[in-house]
Amino acid sequence: MTTTSINLKLEIWRQKDSKATGNFETYILTNISTDMSFLEMLDVLNEQLTREGQDPVAFDHDCREGICGMCGAVVNGIAHGPEPETTLCQLHMRHFKEGETLVIEPFRSRAFPIHKDLVTDRSALDRIIQAGGYVSVNTGGMPDGNATPIPSATAELAMDAAACIGCGACIASCPNGAAMLFTGAKISQLSLLPQGHPERKERARSMVATMDKEGFGNCTNERECEAVCPKGISISNIARMNREFVKASLL
Amino acid sequence: MWFIQFFKSSIGKKWLMAGTGCCLLLFLCSHAAGNATLFYSLALFQSYADQLHSHPLIVSIFSTGLLVIFILHIITGVLLTLQNRKARGHDYKVKKRSSPNSTASSTMIYSGLFILFFVLIHTYVVSFGDHSQISLTISYLFSSFYVIVFYITAFVVLAIHLSHGFWSMLQTFGVNHPRYNTMIRSLTYIVPAFFLLLFTAIPLLFLF
Repeated sequence: MTTTSINLKLEIWRQKDSKATGNFETYILTNISTDMSFLEMLDVLNEQLTREGQDPVAFDHDCREGICGMCGAVVNGIAHGPEPETTLCQLHMRHFKEGETLVIEPFRSRAFPIHKDLVTDRSALDRIIQAGGYVSVNTGGMPDGNATPIPSATAELAMDAAACIGCGACIASCPNGAAMLFTGAKISQLSLLPQGHPERKERARSMVATMDKEGFGNCTNERECEAVCPKGISISNIARMNREFVKASLL
Repeated sequence: MWFIQFFKSSIGKKWLMAGTGCCLLLFLCSHAAGNATLFYSLALFQSYADQLHSHPLIVSIFSTGLLVIFILHIITGVLLTLQNRKARGHDYKVKKRSSPNSTASSTMIYSGLFILFFVLIHTYVVSFGDHSQISLTISYLFSSFYVIVFYITAFVVLAIHLSHGFWSMLQTFGVNHPRYNTMIRSLTYIVPAFFLLLFTAIPLLFLF
């Protein structure tokens, strides 16, 4: 495998703190190895900025292997960049061309206030989870793992929903700033399994109520969320949430 | 109240939009069926109109119901647009859409407002006109080339509105299942195309 390198022009949103106005700054990066990940490219930029005595670009990251949901930015108008079903940390520079201009913006939504540069406050998602993302467990002896039979297809559907890493790309790309794919996945994951049934109705009601209270928009089925989701979460989870919520509210 | 609470929630508003949309789609079916008499003759169409208006109670109940549903659909649509613009907040410098049929889904408010404009003109001229002379009214109306262009434009906009609306309605009702999704995908094109062809054929009938 041959390693090539490219030169890039970056336009990055810089914002000192949550109260500052913020603006785009342009940076030139040379000799970026195409084997680097997107975040490693940002690391190179930050080393360069630090050496020059400038403030490095703040961005969220943690596992860098696509499973934690911490990283994320909008690259050239697409959340997590142009590769489908890939988080920003797993996006490699080989997908970009020599001399390309990359516009890097934070995940935007009224419910995601910006802390600094590309770092946004996504704790609203944690509060949705807190509202209903739990199951009742009896105290006492350890229950037998196989005591509750779950059909394989159902377990797979629940697992598909559980693949959501809560990165917030769905909200960032939704023209309405709605959090329905996230909430739909979280509600589905638990409502599909028998362990989640005792709180099923309460969960649907309180998670949707929290979602609305946090200032997310209303879903109008534009399907942008599904198109950019790094974990390929399907909007069939939103359809399931619609059914769950109606059953919980009206029946 | 539990149902007010339901309709105030984001999913409740979605259901209101889909429910009223479903009623409007059913109205469109009955309207299309009535109009189809025109393919046979103007006289049959006139007798259909005479028959319909010989039951003023039924007509007034249905038109009042339709008006309420139509107003609810518009108010919810405008409310959703305003709330969602606020929720979006700061816009991106680079805007890119990745979803299928994003032209229709992102312009629902505009296509909807154009349909409202068309409906206002259409009801003013046709519905509030003289019912006993309706066949004369439409013959006169469609003798103008510009009127035909206006009507066909409205039908195209309606088809675009339905191309998102029909699928979106089913998704809101929770109808999303691998068994039906292929059928729903084809209906997304068939339903708007059906109304487009049927409604467009009528003014063209007068042109040729």
